[in-house]
Amino acid sequence: QEAKIAFGGLAQDTSLPVEVQADSLSVNNADGTAIFAGNVLVGQGEMKLSAASVKVEYATDGKAIARLHASGGVTIANLADAAEAQEAVYTIDSGTIVLTGDVLLTQGPSALSGQKLTINLKDGTGVMEGRVSTVFVPGGN
Amino acid sequence: MPARPDRHSRMIGWLKVLLPLAALTLLATLFLFSDRIDPSDAIPYAKVDVEDLAKDPRMSAPDYAGTTADGAGITLSAQSLRDGADGAGTSAEAISALIETPDGQRIDISAALANVDPSGKELRLDGGVSLATQAGYQLQTEAITADLEQTNLASTAPVTVTAPMGDIRADSFSLTQDPLNKGAYLLVFNGGVRLLYQPGGQSPSP
Repeated sequence: QEAKIAFGGLAQDTSLPVEVQADSLSVNNADGTAIFAGNVLVGQGEMKLSAASVKVEYATDGKAIARLHASGGVTIANLADAAEAQEAVYTIDSGTIVLTGDVLLTQGPSALSGQKLTINLKDGTGVMEGRVSTVFVPGGN
Repeated sequence: MPARPDRHSRMIGWLKVLLPLAALTLLATLFLFSDRIDPSDAIPYAKVDVEDLAKDPRMSAPDYAGTTADGAGITLSAQSLRDGADGAGTSAEAISALIETPDGQRIDISAALANVDPSGKELRLDGGVSLATQAGYQLQTEAITADLEQTNLASTAPVTVTAPMGDIRADSFSLTQDPLNKGAYLLVFNGGVRLLYQPGGQSPSP
């Protein structure tokens, strides 16, 4: 089943510069794929995404970045909320992050877990799917 | 004097006077308009310091071409090449090198100074090195070492890169053959890598 949640409470401006920090970056000269490895930290405005490795997927023109494919244990923090999962795909232009692999979302005291979480940064909403279970603290947040 | 001479011989008489005068004035103007030839700057001297040239023999505009074990073609050209004293390896100035990898990638390198060690296997470029790869990466660093045996470039100083996707900064980089598949080459940045990418494509102000 599905649960609709507000994420971060504010729309994330996806045109902010994206900053990626990592221990190493390897670029394959032939097809130009770039892989960041070693506690990678992707920051855009308030949102921080940290992962073991992030693969950069280009748009067709090769100039713009289409998607950031983070894997190896991903945590995303946006103000008071944080989400953890095994993998995440962040499509910058459309501003959607899809987390997959036993996702855990904590919003203040309450927590929500499931298999797949789709966050839309533009309007700050998220949809959790797959074996959703939640812990509510009545009157907590 | 015969009776008044007729018109024809009077005209000839005048001509006998006027024509030589005209010839004389023409001759005079000949030297007036001719350009002054200044004998002192006849031979422009070369301004090269001859003692310096004689002191250490050098080769000007040398170039070197070779292929590495993994099939990448390397061509080097420089402004001047000097053989190092007591086996310190040859050193060259204003180097430009081109590496063509078997999978068709071109890497252009230019550097201020270069030094090939006596064994001739390793090339050290410093004094500001800039590399440009076909994928649109422009790298600026202080110094790199290049292995002439098999393609292995490594920078020994922080490197800043303007890449198609944005600006990158790293402590060092290395360009080696991808161990997984032979033909491809890996450009690896290590140490505090930082990429700044501006969505929408216009490059962010650093």
